Amino acid sequence: MRDIISTNAFWTIWLFIHLILALGLIGALTHQAMAVAFPVRQPSTGIVTRFRAVSAAGYTTAVCVLWVLTYFVGAFIYTKYRIYIRVPLEAGRYYKTGGFFDFKEHVSSIGLVLLPAYWYLWKNAQNPQYDNARKGVTIVLALMCWFLFLVGHFLNNTRGFGS
Amino acid sequence: MSTTAQSSSSLASSSKFKAFAIVFSIAGPVAYCVIQYLNWPLVTFWPATNRLVWGYEGGLTGQGPNMLWYGWTLNALIIAAVLGIIAMLLPARITDKIPLSLLWILPILSIPYVVYSLMPWWNLAAGVH
Repeated sequence: MRDIISTNAFWTIWLFIHLILALGLIGALTHQAMAVAFPVRQPSTGIVTRFRAVSAAGYTTAVCVLWVLTYFVGAFIYTKYRIYIRVPLEAGRYYKTGGFFDFKEHVSSIGLVLLPAYWYLWKNAQNPQYDNARKGVTIVLALMCWFLFLVGHFLNNTRGFGS
Repeated sequence: MSTTAQSSSSLASSSKFKAFAIVFSIAGPVAYCVIQYLNWPLVTFWPATNRLVWGYEGGLTGQGPNMLWYGWTLNALIIAAVLGIIAMLLPARITDKIPLSLLWILPILSIPYVVYSLMPWWNLAAGVH
């Protein structure tokens, strides 16, 4: 593969794949979190209401698959980050940026281990006993996902695509 | 109904899987924080030389930086899985008593620890050495 395209193009493609997977994940999780946090009581034609009125349970397996795929692609490109991004960041004294990336890696692993319970709670969404836990786990995962996405985005702006 | 949908639905209705999933996800964040605090990675990866070694290895000159995150995560997954398997062996009357609110409280509580564990970065940013 690397004989066909340049090393830079190779890693840029993987970075884009990571981004596209993350976009799908953040969209699905935000829909689901909005649906459980602010459930729609009456049908409406408003865009915000329609955003919340999705069939939230239908996103569950997609969220799990997307989290795992995004995680593995991120773990793959992390090896290049450690040498070609973090070392220059430290040399340039961008310590907060480096610290937030390490924060991101920890949050992504903590989110990963929540997935089995998240999946189970949503697959039993008809059981009211799980309502609070399902709502809590989904909102926590959505907030984690937004944090991961924003840190990744800012880091890419600091020294990512095209650098 | 497809075979995949049937197996998915039988997994979702299994009390054994419920015990595993709940305990795995409750134990996971705690295991990750403890392992990271103790610096107990299953493996250490050296990206500059593509070298993967068991356990912790650090402070080698000429090898570039080491990466411990893979090893911390693997160990946390193993510990959470072992605890989940143990929970599967327990009677449901015990595992049903586990408060489900821990599933979202513990990840939130792990965040202050994670921020604290990154103190070397924040100290460098603040110019404190």
